[in-house]
Amino acid sequence: MPTSDWRQDIVDGLKANNICTIAHVSDRVLAPIVRLVEADSFFRVITLTREEEGVGILTGAYLGGRRGALLLQSSGFGNILNALGSLAIPYQVPFVLLLSPRGGFAEHNVVQLALGKAVPSISEALGIQMFEMTTPEDVPVVIDKGTKLAYVTRRPVILSISTRLSGGAANR
Amino acid sequence: MSTFFPRMNRLELTRAIMGVIDDDVLLVAGIGNAGFDLFTAGDRPGNFYMLGSMGMAIPIALGLALAQPERTVLVMEGEGSVLMNMGGLATVGREAPPNLTIVIWDNAQWQLTGGQPLATESTCDLAAVASACGISETTTPADAPAFTSTVRRAIDSPGPHVILAKIDASPAAGRHHDDPVFLKHRFMQAVGIVPD
Repeated sequence: MPTSDWRQDIVDGLKANNICTIAHVSDRVLAPIVRLVEADSFFRVITLTREEEGVGILTGAYLGGRRGALLLQSSGFGNILNALGSLAIPYQVPFVLLLSPRGGFAEHNVVQLALGKAVPSISEALGIQMFEMTTPEDVPVVIDKGTKLAYVTRRPVILSISTRLSGGAANR
Repeated sequence: MSTFFPRMNRLELTRAIMGVIDDDVLLVAGIGNAGFDLFTAGDRPGNFYMLGSMGMAIPIALGLALAQPERTVLVMEGEGSVLMNMGGLATVGREAPPNLTIVIWDNAQWQLTGGQPLATESTCDLAAVASACGISETTTPADAPAFTSTVRRAIDSPGPHVILAKIDASPAAGRHHDDPVFLKHRFMQAVGIVPD
């Protein structure tokens, strides 16, 4: 049942799909979601040193029978490319990449532009599907169907929190 | 080369690991020689081999150890890969799974690519790094018998453990399978998991 808080809807949708391992490199958009999962003992939350580590941890969790999500910025997406290309994709390991995109609407930092705008074409080139949440109404269906798609297709999916929904990660 | 430790042989030590572990111990091997010698020492469904993703063996083993807290997980990883993802040791220290043992093969070089020397040849002590990351059970055994008894003790006692093995540069004799989906399914079957 959708709530009045889209962040809670994200957490509820992950939980309903048994996504119990959460690995993250947080930002201002993701931090409230991290707080919600940390407050719920259903989730095992792991703070990473670098996003790439999360691909390894979620692969190990999957081998051990647990589903997971990696919470990251578009900048962090750049840090996981080889782990996606040589581990998650060829071994057919599914998980959710919950993405906080930079470089678009509400951006304040020019260096976030290049990779932020490149995520769709990089994911396309890797054969990884990406779905965007731009309104609170999008959230329950994108989280649920997107997560299910990852496990049907046995590869990661990107579920992107549009800055139109979040207001962006800008600090000014 | 350091002269403080007599260099041991990776295949011999991998065989020693196989000799002291129970059948249900889950083994993860990093890219390259760690996996090649694991295959030669004793290929089995409970071995997970990486084909790429340098640096990811310790995170994989961490995720597995957290997901399977009743099983013992032992990962063998080369020093070059540990250096590439040194933050992974900080995460292991913080998460502190008691069922995880990390064996680091250290011959102070990128052996597969021609023996380029690494920081562990001179300035970097990965056992000290692990210890500084909060992994208190950290050992650098002096010889093969000490290595074997250290592995046995690690498996029998709460960890996480790091065992740093100073090894020679003998080439690996064998090569493991190279079909990732086969390797994954076979391993998950050994864990007792049906992929969903």
